[in-house]
Amino acid sequence: MLVTGASSGIGREVAIACAREGAAVVATGRDTARLDETLSRLAGDGHVPLCADLTSADDRKALVAACGEMHGVVHCAGTTAVRLFRQVDAKFIDEDFAINFDAPLLLTQALLASKRITNGGSIVFVGSFAAHIGAKGSSVYSASKGALIPAARALAQEIGARQQVRVNVINASYVETPMTRHVKTSVLADGESLYVPPLGPGRPDDVANGVVFLLAEASRWITRSILRIDGGLGCQVSMP
Amino acid sequence: MTAVPSPFSVAGKRVLVTGASSGLGRATAIALAANGAVVVACGRDRERLDATRSAMAGDGHALALGDLTTDEAMDATVEVAGKVDGVVHCAGISVPTPLRLAKREYVEAVMRTNYIAPMMLTQRLLAKSRVAKGGSILFLASSAAFRGVAGTAIYGASKGALVAAVRSVALETAKHGIRVNCLAPDLVETPLIETSGTLQGSGDWLEMQRKLHPLGLGKPEDVANSAMFFLSDASRWITGTTLLMDGGIIF
Repeated sequence: MLVTGASSGIGREVAIACAREGAAVVATGRDTARLDETLSRLAGDGHVPLCADLTSADDRKALVAACGEMHGVVHCAGTTAVRLFRQVDAKFIDEDFAINFDAPLLLTQALLASKRITNGGSIVFVGSFAAHIGAKGSSVYSASKGALIPAARALAQEIGARQQVRVNVINASYVETPMTRHVKTSVLADGESLYVPPLGPGRPDDVANGVVFLLAEASRWITRSILRIDGGLGCQVSMP
Repeated sequence: MTAVPSPFSVAGKRVLVTGASSGLGRATAIALAANGAVVVACGRDRERLDATRSAMAGDGHALALGDLTTDEAMDATVEVAGKVDGVVHCAGISVPTPLRLAKREYVEAVMRTNYIAPMMLTQRLLAKSRVAKGGSILFLASSAAFRGVAGTAIYGASKGALVAAVRSVALETAKHGIRVNCLAPDLVETPLIETSGTLQGSGDWLEMQRKLHPLGLGKPEDVANSAMFFLSDASRWITGTTLLMDGGIIF
């Protein structure tokens, strides 16, 4: 399994969960030291750390060359740059999309072009609940995460029948990670809190277990689909 | 591997499965039993329910015979169920009919079996506190709730009603940690599929449907595997959702 963003947060937890269930993990992230820390927490053998900045075409190329053939790919790398709409500019939009949208798509394309995803494999994009709610300060983030949905569905259609490769999106709500702690401290006013889901706060491994399900043979008929992991937040949103 | 118990395990969980005498319910009951769960299997047909039981591994399973559209069968099933960790509502009917040919009896029969029965059974289980804290309730909806197919106005509506219902029930039960979700499968190779195609009338209909799904038609085991995920602790933070599983079909 190739796991991006594996040096922290949800990506790290996905790598841990995959290893726990017996998979061999290729963990990629930008920070060598933190990637090594992830590796030290993986059960079993055969795991490989590959440092890469996925917004760099050269790094993507090197990663694809080094990673070997994968049964699954999980795109966890992302940014939550939050900004009020009136403060958004072109540079901000470009940087957000480069990380949340362009990088996972272009990496997937490179992996497929080099036949790095085995027939019957599974691709999972970790999207966001923000795509449904359109939360305050997240006009661009919601859009870049939401854009993964039609992209994943189109890709699934293109490679589904021929290669039996499945493509799905997990729309996760806020779980306690360094990224969401940053949101809490940077954009929310005093006394303002992140939405509290009906089931209470979630954990990164709640998202990771959903990823494992979508990677496993148990979900072999599920593609072009969206799995919501949000503690019940999403079912309250007024949206058809 | 480590000895850490997998969050995907359903071993030791007590699960009520309706519609267990055939199709998706049967596959779900068998899969749960094979993975160590204790199953309360409900169905209308004694012979077929016994056949399901004999295909189930392990001990301690219970059978509840009866038509869940009746109050008597519902009450009896709740008694047999005892305290459960999970419920999978698989009982359902699918007989496509264009609206212009639909009679009131047909509309009521579809709604009674597909919507009223699972809702009222759930109502009884919740009122009597028969679902354990942290338990999981799963309804079998259908892709017909989302994509229009000629002849499925009533069937799709009955399944869409479940999709709408879980959003609210999930909020009502969240304080007890009880999760409520739907699976929405497209065409699965079950006995129901024979009647699903009758409207189209052609023997080639099923073959065409297989080709339209990039991953082919589903197997009952696919639904059973998803059900086990939704019953396991691996999905403990998922509620009020519907998972579409359709082999990638567009229309």
